[in-house]
Amino acid sequence: MLTATRPPLPIISSRKLAFPPKFKIPRQVWVSNMDTVEEEKLGLIDLHPEVFAERPRLDIIHENVRWQQLYRHVSYAHTKMSYEVRGGGRKPRPQKGSGRSRHGSIRSPIWVGGGVVHGPRSPKSYFYMLGFNARLNGLRSTLSAKLAQDDLQIVESLDIPTDDPKYLEALVEERGWGPSVLFVDDHDIMPLNITAASDAYGHYNLMPVYGLNVFSMLKHTTLVMTLSAVERLEERILFHLNRNDAAEATAKYKLSSV
Amino acid sequence: MTSLIGSMISTLGATLKYRSLVGTANQASKVVALFSPEWTTVRFRFHADKVAKGPVPRRFGYEDKIFKGGLLPRTAYQDKRLPIPDYKPKNSWNEKRALFGQNDYIDILGPSNEITQKTLHPTQLLYNVPHWLRGVKGNEYQVLLRKRKFVQKEGYPITHPTKWAELNVRIKKLYKYLNTKTKSPFWKHA
Repeated sequence: MLTATRPPLPIISSRKLAFPPKFKIPRQVWVSNMDTVEEEKLGLIDLHPEVFAERPRLDIIHENVRWQQLYRHVSYAHTKMSYEVRGGGRKPRPQKGSGRSRHGSIRSPIWVGGGVVHGPRSPKSYFYMLGFNARLNGLRSTLSAKLAQDDLQIVESLDIPTDDPKYLEALVEERGWGPSVLFVDDHDIMPLNITAASDAYGHYNLMPVYGLNVFSMLKHTTLVMTLSAVERLEERILFHLNRNDAAEATAKYKLSSV
Repeated sequence: MTSLIGSMISTLGATLKYRSLVGTANQASKVVALFSPEWTTVRFRFHADKVAKGPVPRRFGYEDKIFKGGLLPRTAYQDKRLPIPDYKPKNSWNEKRALFGQNDYIDILGPSNEITQKTLHPTQLLYNVPHWLRGVKGNEYQVLLRKRKFVQKEGYPITHPTKWAELNVRIKKLYKYLNTKTKSPFWKHA
């Protein structure tokens, strides 16, 4: 049993929201610790409603998931045309006289082993770009759904006392966090202990804020974010919501622009 | 005639018992005619009597199919399993599947250059897609033209002469086909 020594609680009592909401109330969440297996609530913070309290749009979430699955997909299915199949240059038999049907090549599409006429031709890309706002709202909807369904947990930091995988498993089981957990931190180099501990399990995954996406949030049951990750995420999303120079970012995707 | 009637009477022994006679019957006469216009015979058989006589034909006209589908019967001495591949469930949490979709929103959530305000775009991270196909959508003709443009500069004609020839042949054939055989917008037929 590990006991943490820390100053008197609550450590975090308030958080100033950027672009304070005018007509929506901020949502409040507990901040927990990762030092001990048992949960210790360290404080209560506000979350911006524009990010975490949007009415979840299932159609937008679906669009985002479909886009993520398709835009990187390339089909390598390929069939040869008649002229590409090996052989078949010679007329199999004279036009007349044999009593059999007439043919010009043994690789014509009506022959077995012949070419395929309108078959797949590789490579075929299914790339398309979803609109900027569709993706932004997909993130907002998914985050809101996660919070509303009690699948969003805020922790102070991802520092755990040991690199034993059993510690992490016990912690997750004790707190009732789902079978699969996605730990999100601001920085992409995570503390050593949690990296080693989660390495043993495929269903505990670590991700930086810039790697966050709708598909991963839906694949993992619980989303555990650090305070700094929440700050960064809110800052980014609110920046895009309130910027006035978004013409370039929200413009239709052009190959030459990247 | 009498013997026939007699045999009929003996087989229809039960019938005769329940024959109700409408009209006056000549009690004295021993031979009772089977038919008379004066009386109506109510002739019936109880199902119990039918069953008592013997097996009652059921589902008359039904053709029984011996094999109705499903597994074929196996003989007792057959101890070899039929060849069927072992089921191996896919690992939903291997690294590729667990982290699928990571960095797809890097242009929204990632850091932007302070001066140019530019971010990384997800198409720049498609490492498993051929470099001339990253962020590209098109029909076969468009894709092959782009491939030729890129690949020519990288020495493809020297390193892959046959494929280079095939590529050019395919482009030529598609050009002729699309420009002579199709009227509608070319992306509908290619």
